[in-house]
Amino acid sequence: MAFLDIINVSKTFGKTTAVKDFNLQISKGELVSFLGPSGCGKTTTLRMVAGFEIPTEGTVVIDGEDVTNKPPNQRPVGMVFQAYALFPNMTVADNIGFGMKIAKKPQEEIDQRVDEMLDLIHMPGFGPRYPHQLSGGQQQRVALARALALRPEVLLLDEPLSALDAKIRVSLRAEIRAIQQKLAITAIYVTHDQEEALSISDRVVVMNAGYMEQVGPPFEIYNFPKTEFVAQFVGTLNGAKVEVIDPAARIVKMDGQNIQIAQNLDDTHSGDIINIAIRPERITLATEGMKTNVLDVKIDTITFLGSIVRIQVVLGEYSFFLDTFNNPYLELPKIGDIVKITFTDEAVLLPSGGKRN
Amino acid sequence: MSEQSITRQNPGSAPPARSSRFKINWDYLGLAPFFLFAICFLLLPSASIFVRSFTGTDGSFTFDNITAIFQGRDFINAYKTSLSVSVITAVGGGIFGFLLAYAVILGGLPRWARSFMLTFSGVASNFAGVPLAFAFIATMGNAGLVTQMIESIFNVDLRAAGFSIYTIWGLSIVYMYFQFPLMVLIMAPALDGLRKEWKEACENLGGTEIHYWRYIALPILMPTLLGTMILLFGNAFGAYATAYAFSGSFINLVSIVIGAQIQGDVLYNPGLGNALALGMILIMSVTMIGYIAMGRRAARWQR
Ligand SMILES: Nc1ncnc2c1ncn2[C@@H]1O[C@H](COP(=O)(O)OP(=O)(O)O)[C@@H](O)[C@H]1O
Ligand SMILES: [Mg+2]
Repeated sequence: MAFLDIINVSKTFGKTTAVKDFNLQISKGELVSFLGPSGCGKTTTLRMVAGFEIPTEGTVVIDGEDVTNKPPNQRPVGMVFQAYALFPNMTVADNIGFGMKIAKKPQEEIDQRVDEMLDLIHMPGFGPRYPHQLSGGQQQRVALARALALRPEVLLLDEPLSALDAKIRVSLRAEIRAIQQKLAITAIYVTHDQEEALSISDRVVVMNAGYMEQVGPPFEIYNFPKTEFVAQFVGTLNGAKVEVIDPAARIVKMDGQNIQIAQNLDDTHSGDIINIAIRPERITLATEGMKTNVLDVKIDTITFLGSIVRIQVVLGEYSFFLDTFNNPYLELPKIGDIVKITFTDEAVLLPSGGKRN
Repeated sequence: MSEQSITRQNPGSAPPARSSRFKINWDYLGLAPFFLFAICFLLLPSASIFVRSFTGTDGSFTFDNITAIFQGRDFINAYKTSLSVSVITAVGGGIFGFLLAYAVILGGLPRWARSFMLTFSGVASNFAGVPLAFAFIATMGNAGLVTQMIESIFNVDLRAAGFSIYTIWGLSIVYMYFQFPLMVLIMAPALDGLRKEWKEACENLGGTEIHYWRYIALPILMPTLLGTMILLFGNAFGAYATAYAFSGSFINLVSIVIGAQIQGDVLYNPGLGNALALGMILIMSVTMIGYIAMGRRAARWQR
């Protein structure tokens, strides 16, 4: 049975619908992230779990208890905000111990828990400091410790790393994940950064304009996007419109060249125009002798990205990216060269389910 | 731990001290206008008051001016009255101004009402004194509109019943007209600076509205609150025009007494006037020192 159950939840503010028909079951100890562009309703959903917003419709159940209408201070939920949420007038220790102080726990127990939490976030000895004496990353670690100090049943994080610079973001997200797994705490992680969502989560909820687009493990979300939006939003994607030549044989045509695809085209008729999509890493430069899906393209740009090299090629009106792993002996084509590229038939995704649009 | 190792100076790497002793630090040049201002308008007048407080009419050194303050009850009472009015209006204006600022900023007032309130406060805090004193007299004074109305309608003679606006309380009410908006003006941005996340974090950790104000909002606002109250205190303590317009010399405030000693034809004694002014400076200084001490305590988390 699900530990945290969000059932048919909707939220409207006046005329704007922030969240619509949200349904999600989260197991104990699972980390689920909400991924989507700004304004798609991630924060609103999270705030309904925290109790800062009351759903217009639907129910929130935590560990079997309906908390839909409970005020935030009576929910077993800890929250980490985007930034600047530490109490500036209190030391790190007082911030972390605040919840226990409110709960009138004995000072001895508070001190002990504070030390334990400081160890957990690898900041022992920082207790007497004030928030303004910490870096942004340290502040967010303290915020995490503060949210965990009351041992909540659910941990909520609303873009906790978005105010930090890229390097800290990567190391801190790994640390957050490690702590979450160590404590085996149920968590929701809100982000608009797809790499962050994919790397940290057990499951990802991709949201768009208040709706859930797709729910699944990162691997599935990335490799088998169910909607065009998911395909576009998660990872880089090459998209093109193609003409269906033979639905039964699964052959389509792009810029006069035939493409064999693996997915079902039964819903289409020959002559239909459909959308296809291919991930950059599924396309390679073709070598002699290859036959299927070998296309002639022109090299447009070559971008060195460190571990990978991203080559942009032009095919008719479309421009495609293809990624190759870097190695020191890589022989790259020159800009303007006409080369052959290739991809397997199952690399071709049909984001709109093969339907015409 | 690590903080110490970072901040500790390495003596070996200190720059050579050789030439620095003889160098003029030009960085302070930018502060010259400030020092000039402080000397011309703060130090020199204070020094002059100080010197003349101890100067007799014949120009020689004397303690007469100082001892004169403590002879008779009049001057001591003037200090008491001034202090009372200042404390009453600083605390009263502080509390009510804070509540009004709270309503304006956190009460969900529409934007236009809010900017209207703030503009109005800006004007009122600078301008309200004398006109409002007259307005107050015209309504509540001995021959005031409301006083007369009450007399003719209810047949009650307020004056005979002991009611008078020419008391500390009446003056305090008049002062409130500029104290109150000044508090609103200064507290509004401070209240604006309270982040929504602090309140929500407090709630999330099990706290109530009361916990939030007690442990977070008030401590954060305390330096501003104290600072503004001291400003209100000084504002009332030094006020002259409003008090004079309101009561003439009905109410003996130090500022009015000084005016009489410096300009009056009957009471002319500038040496005594200076001594009284010196007393005011002393009281203000003690208040400032108290404020700085309290303010440092309240703001220790900012450093
Ligand atoms: N308190 C509110 N009042 C009115 N509209 C709101 C409020 N909170 C959020 N919204 C609207 O709801 C939508 C979703 O917002 P939000 O959940 O903050 O998105 P996200 O966190 O994904 O960026 C947005 O269109 C936003 O403008
Ligand atoms: Mg958000």
